[in-house]
Amino acid sequence: MNHSARYPGASPDPQEEKQDEAIATIRAEIQKLQKRKRTLASSLLSAHSIQKLIRKPPPALTSINNELSPLVRAAGKHSECNHYRIAFGATAFPFQDPSPTANDNLLGVRLDVCARNGQFAKPYYVLLRRERVRGGNEKRLRVHRHTVPAFISMSKLEGAFLPFPGSGKERVEESEEGENLKPWKGQERKQDLRGFVRELRRELVAWHMRTDAVDFLREKLGLETGSLSSSSERALPVEGTGVMSLASTAVEARYVRLEWEDGRVGRFKLSNTGLVERAVVIGDAGRDKQTEDTMTGGGGRIEALLDRLRERGQSTA
Amino acid sequence: MARPKSVRAPTTASLPNNLRIPSSTPSLAKTLGKLSRQALLGLALTWLDDRNITSFPPYLQADEENGGDDEDTLPYPAAETIEEVRNAYQDLQDRKGGKREVLERMLEGDWRKGITLRQLAMADLRYMDNHPASLRWTALELSRIVARKKPIEKGKADDWSNNVPRMQAATFVKGLQQEIAPLVKAHYHLARSSTLPLTILRIFIIDSPYQSPRQAPEIFADSSRVIYVAFPDSCPYIYTSITATGSKQAGPTTSSVATDPRSLQRLVRDAIPKALSRPQERYTLKPTSLAAKNLPTLLALRGPGRSTSANGAFSIFADSALEGSPLDPRLSNTVSAEEHMRSWKATVENKENEISADQAHESKKRKAADTNPGTLSPTSKKRRLAVQGRFGTAGGSLAPAPLDRLDVRLLDQPTFDDEDDENSSNLPAVSLTFTGSDVIGGIRKLAELGIIDPKRMPSWMTGEEGVSMAVVRGGKRLQKEA
Repeated sequence: MNHSARYPGASPDPQEEKQDEAIATIRAEIQKLQKRKRTLASSLLSAHSIQKLIRKPPPALTSINNELSPLVRAAGKHSECNHYRIAFGATAFPFQDPSPTANDNLLGVRLDVCARNGQFAKPYYVLLRRERVRGGNEKRLRVHRHTVPAFISMSKLEGAFLPFPGSGKERVEESEEGENLKPWKGQERKQDLRGFVRELRRELVAWHMRTDAVDFLREKLGLETGSLSSSSERALPVEGTGVMSLASTAVEARYVRLEWEDGRVGRFKLSNTGLVERAVVIGDAGRDKQTEDTMTGGGGRIEALLDRLRERGQSTA
Repeated sequence: MARPKSVRAPTTASLPNNLRIPSSTPSLAKTLGKLSRQALLGLALTWLDDRNITSFPPYLQADEENGGDDEDTLPYPAAETIEEVRNAYQDLQDRKGGKREVLERMLEGDWRKGITLRQLAMADLRYMDNHPASLRWTALELSRIVARKKPIEKGKADDWSNNVPRMQAATFVKGLQQEIAPLVKAHYHLARSSTLPLTILRIFIIDSPYQSPRQAPEIFADSSRVIYVAFPDSCPYIYTSITATGSKQAGPTTSSVATDPRSLQRLVRDAIPKALSRPQERYTLKPTSLAAKNLPTLLALRGPGRSTSANGAFSIFADSALEGSPLDPRLSNTVSAEEHMRSWKATVENKENEISADQAHESKKRKAADTNPGTLSPTSKKRRLAVQGRFGTAGGSLAPAPLDRLDVRLLDQPTFDDEDDENSSNLPAVSLTFTGSDVIGGIRKLAELGIIDPKRMPSWMTGEEGVSMAVVRGGKRLQKEA
C-alpha cells in the first residue's frame, strides 16, 4: 500500500515522504506477519496428530469434546476438504442461491486443476439446479451457472451427459428418431453426472496441459511465458533450431504458431494427449515437408519438439 | 483526387484501400478532428512508418515537380524527404499545442492529395481504442446449425472444446466479400485492438457498383455507413455496432432495391455467419439480449473468461472470492473475499486474467474505495452482508462490466386483479428502463443504502443474468427456447 500515492495533492516534503514510506513498509510487514500467524495457527490446528487426538480422545479426556473450540473442528473439516480437492480434483458442495425466487439448494461442483508450477489454478465451478421434468415426477439436473471458459461447449456436454427432456436439442432427437428402429432411443436417457464431471475435468486438464506445454517450450526458447502471440516479440534463435517465436494462436492453445529465422512460418495442432498431431510449415519455396515430418514424427511428443528440430538442423547443416 | 481515366465498369471487387478522399472534404476534417492531438500525431507517425510508407506516401517535392502543381500558396511547403516529414511530426510531439495545427498540417500539407480509405479506417479505429464507449455494441452468439442430429458420441475427446469457429481473418473477409459483393460495395479494414483481446473489422458500405464511385466525397466519412464487427478471442460470440436488428425479415426482399444504409447493414449482418461457415459446419447468429456501450462489459458478460455465465450472486465463483487454493490451510470463511482474490492473482498467472479486461488496474481502485473503517451499526452491517450475498463481487466499485441501460418487461399479473380474469391479452405490461453510467452498480448502492431490500429483490436486479434486455415473470427471466 503506497501511502504517499493516496494523497497526490500533499506537498512532496522529503522528510514526510520518507516517513510515509517507513509507515507503509511497517504496515506491509504487519500484514505479512498476521497472515503468517494465521497460516501457522490453522496448520497447527489441522495437524494430523491433533486431529487424531480429537477423533479418538483418550478415555481420561472424554470431556474434552465439550470444551473444544469450534475452530479446531472447523480446521479439521477444512483440511479434510482440501485433501479431497487435491486428491480427486472434483468435489461437490451445496450452495444456497440467495435469490428469493430460488426454491432449491444448488449442487455445486468444484474442479481443481494443478498447473505445471505446482500451484493450483482458480477452481472451476459448475452449479447445477434440480428441475422437475414437465409432466413427470422425476427431478433432473440442469446446469445453472458455471465458470468454465467459453471455448468448452457446456451445452454440448450437458446435452450428452445430462439430457433433459423438453429442452431444445432433445426434442429434435425425439421427433426425428422416434420411429426409428432403436427403441431405447425413445426412452429418456439417464443422466450421468459422473460422466459429465469426468469429461469436463478431462477437458480442463487437457487445456491446462496444453498451455503448460507451450509455456515450457517458450521458456526453453527464452521467451516470456504466459502471453498470447504478439508479433513484436522475437527470441534469439536457440542454437540449431532456428525458431524465433512460438506462441499459441488463441486462448485454448490448440494451435501453435512458429516462426523461423529464415522466414518460414509454421503451425501445428496440439492434441489433448500432448502430441503434435498435424503440422504445416511454409517457406518461400513452398511447403517444407521434411520439417513437418520432423515435428510430427519421432513419437510426436510436444516436449521434445525443440530437440527434434535441433537434430534436424544439425543433420542438414 | 485520384479518379482514374480508365473505363468505369461495374465490378464485384471491394473498394480499394488506396481510394483517396479529397482532403478538402469537410466531413473528413470533422472525423479526424474527433481525435486528440496525441492520437493524431501517433496516427501520422504510423502512416510514416516504414511498413506503411508505400501505402500512404506524403506529398514531397518530387511530386510537386512531376505533377506541376503550381499552387504554392499553401502554407505547408512540400518536404524533400520522408525523414523530414517524420521529424516535423516528432517536433510537434515534443512541444505542446493545439490539435488544429496537426490536423491542418496533415490535410493541407503532407496528405494534401487526399486521405485514403485505409487511412480513414485507421483513424476511426484509433478513436475507438481511446474511446471504448463511443459506440453501442450488440453481442450475438454464433451457434452451429446441426441439420441432422447425430447421436452424440461420448468417446470423442476433441468434441467438447471445438466450440469456437476457427477463423482466419483474410479468409473470412474474402468470404464476406463474396457474400455481399453483388449487393453492396464495401471497404474492409481488419485490425487488432491495442487495448482489448479483440479483432475488429471495420466495413464501410456504399451502394455503387464502380471501383471509384461517383458519389460526393462526403459520403466516405458518413458514420452511418460504417459497420464494426468485433471478434473476441476464443469464444463463440461476436459484437457488432449494428443496433437495430429488430424484426429480422426472412429472406432477401426482392421487391425493393436496398440502398439506404440500414438495409445495407442488414445485408452485411446476414452475411457474417455465412462467411464464417464452412462445408459441413454452418453457423447462425443468435441474439443474446445484451447491448452495451462499453466493450469491456461485453467481454466480461459474453467473453472468453469465467464471468460469462456466472454473474450477480455467482460472481464470487467467477472471481474465486469464495475460497483459496487447496494448499491454503486457512479456513475459507476467515479470509476476506478481497484477500482470496488477491492471493489468486499473486499465485497463479491466470490465463483468464490476461484475456479479460485489465483487472489489476481495477482492483487498485477498489482497494482505495473499500478500506473505509468498519464503523457500522449492526443493522447496516447485516444489510451489507445481505447485499454482498446478492451481488457477490459484481456491481461494486470493482465492476469491470458497467451496463449503461437495462430494459425489463414485467409480465406478472397485478395482485389486485380478480383471479377469474385470466385473459392475458388485456394485461397491463410494465416496462422498466434503467439508464446511467453503471446500472447494476447503482442498484447495489441503493440496496446498500437500504432503499431496496436486498433480501427480497429479484435476481435480475443484481445483474445475475448478464443481459440488458429481459422479460420477467415471477422474478425469473423468461428465456426464449431456441
